[in-house]
Amino acid sequence: MILLLLLSIPSIASAAIMGTRRRRTMEWIHASATVVALIVGASIGTRIWAGEPVVSWSLLRADALSAFMIGIVTFVGAVAGLYSVAYMRLEFDDNHLSQVRLFYALFQLFIFTMLLAVATDNLGLMWVAIEGTTLATVFLVNLHDNHTGLEAAYKYLIISSVGIALAFMGTVLVFYAASIEVGEIGLSWTMLISIAARLNPNIVKLAFIFILIGYGTKAGLAPMHTWLPDAHSEAPAPISALMSGVLLNVGIYALIRFKTVTDIAAGPEFSSVWLMRFGLLSLGLAAAFLLSQRNYKRMLAYSSVEHTGIVALGLGFGGYWGLLGALLHMINHALTKSMLFLVSGNISLRYHTTEIYGVRGLLKTAPWTGFAFLWGTLALIGLPPFGPFISEFIIFRSGFAAHSTPYAVTGIALLVVVFAGMLASLNHMLYGQPSGPMEARDPLRWSMVPLALNAILLLGFGLTLPAGVRAFLGQVLKTVGVSL
Amino acid sequence: MPFARITNLLSFIFLLMSFLLLMQNSLAAQVRMFAVQSGVLSALAAAVAFFGGSKELFSVAVVFALIKVIVIPNVLNRAVTKIGIQRAVAPYLGTSATLGICAGLVVVAFYAMAPVTALKRLPTVDGIPLAFAGVLIGLFTTVNRRRALTQILGFLMLENSVFMVALLATYGVPLIVEMGVFLDVLVAVLILEVFVYRIRENFESIDVQHLGSLRG
Repeated sequence: MILLLLLSIPSIASAAIMGTRRRRTMEWIHASATVVALIVGASIGTRIWAGEPVVSWSLLRADALSAFMIGIVTFVGAVAGLYSVAYMRLEFDDNHLSQVRLFYALFQLFIFTMLLAVATDNLGLMWVAIEGTTLATVFLVNLHDNHTGLEAAYKYLIISSVGIALAFMGTVLVFYAASIEVGEIGLSWTMLISIAARLNPNIVKLAFIFILIGYGTKAGLAPMHTWLPDAHSEAPAPISALMSGVLLNVGIYALIRFKTVTDIAAGPEFSSVWLMRFGLLSLGLAAAFLLSQRNYKRMLAYSSVEHTGIVALGLGFGGYWGLLGALLHMINHALTKSMLFLVSGNISLRYHTTEIYGVRGLLKTAPWTGFAFLWGTLALIGLPPFGPFISEFIIFRSGFAAHSTPYAVTGIALLVVVFAGMLASLNHMLYGQPSGPMEARDPLRWSMVPLALNAILLLGFGLTLPAGVRAFLGQVLKTVGVSL
Repeated sequence: MPFARITNLLSFIFLLMSFLLLMQNSLAAQVRMFAVQSGVLSALAAAVAFFGGSKELFSVAVVFALIKVIVIPNVLNRAVTKIGIQRAVAPYLGTSATLGICAGLVVVAFYAMAPVTALKRLPTVDGIPLAFAGVLIGLFTTVNRRRALTQILGFLMLENSVFMVALLATYGVPLIVEMGVFLDVLVAVLILEVFVYRIRENFESIDVQHLGSLRG
């Protein structure tokens, strides 16, 4: 029942916002829905952490992996949701009320589709929900309704839809393999796991390739990433934060579900090799584009391709530590990237440009914004004492342990390239003199308060991994059949 | 076995329609071919429902026909009339090269689906490589076409083929999933239609080559 409650919050909020005329009412519904969803999400997580293996109701089902994802979705949803109220007031005045309404309604619908995707046992329904995330966000990408927004939205819709159609093909093939063994099993992941050892390995391997390409498109793995820099940079800041911080993780989540089945049916080597290849390619491509990036929102978007690549490498290296590192990195990336995209909203409100060369002296002109941007970017490029450093360290260490040394070494070298490229852009933006006289003023101040949570958590995950968190992640790993 | 014969025949006609679609020069004719292809697919669904003894699948066949034979072709036709472009094919490669490549893709499909067809457990299994050829051709068409509307047709061909793989391999997926998929596709097409109009307004053309300002 609690899962039904969780899903009904954003869906009811979305419908209610569509029927509202007053801006303040919309804002209240929106903000309280994101906070209530976070509370309900946290209570689901607590129940599973306390030892209840599965919470389920009809087609809805949440195990530890789902709870992990629900946590990420609702947390980033709440932070971005609270930020967006003031942001939208500055971006769209009351003459553009229809756009404001569309924004809030689709924001909630977006949250709903992501929660549905991770809270169902039915892999067909998961597919429907993940395609739904594209449909919910496509108008958000084009919210400003200009040339570039239109281009980004069209590309996003057509590439994602084609990609994910291939994921459906993979899903069907897995179930073909299952149905010739045991008859009708109705697309259930739990059923599939229980018979995975009997599946024909060749068909499962073939299916995994389709899954990897299909959900890899949603996760932003190169070379299927081409829509990502456009869509993530054109969308309004809170939506970019959700797309980069959370939606990519939903794609990875789908990959993890199928990887588990593939590993049982065909041995872990097969999925490992392909995940490492795509992971390294993503890292390499992103590094090339990050070296000479001129637009800071695109810089953040390419960095998401990079981090998806790192997570894919972690999944590919495999074993307890590889997967633990991947999960930790999913959390760390969600925290960092959502924070940075929200801060980028502040920067573009202050400078009215997304060009890196248009932004000088950020620390002087908007001190809090500049400080948050510095904090987030240092975490993002993998400096200690922040979380991403630890998770990257765990991932690459597991790479050496798994005798995937060439992948690990190349990966680390590429990280250095990314480090150099992003640090140069950061320097340019933070220091120097702004082109005109600008007094010190942050465009949004109170809205940045929730970001302090991201910042503190990033530092926390960098300094320590509390026993409770470790135990929870251990439960997550057990659901995908990995233990120490 | 009549079941195997019927499904094989329908699968073959299905793939033939993909080729015929690629040979058309006018958009309206392409949309017509798509509608016919969807009709064939709906008949296939009904055949599988009949021989496989599934009542659910009958209703899927009906809803499928409603959406893909009537609603979506109507939406596309409306778009074709409204933007007033009849000859809107404009592929990067010409028709003969396209057909050559697609013939090659059929061979690839048989090769790639070898692990699936090796298990002769289902009477419908021989149609699967044909359906997969449809997937590849749809994918290729989406990449090869310059106009937004023909890219959408490529995507729809791809969608049809995946539906067909599901029909032949697992006798369809559960009803609720199938309905969800239909809803997704329908909404996607409606959104894409809006984009076609907006691209037309903004760029005075539906040639997606104009969509090239976002790079690097």
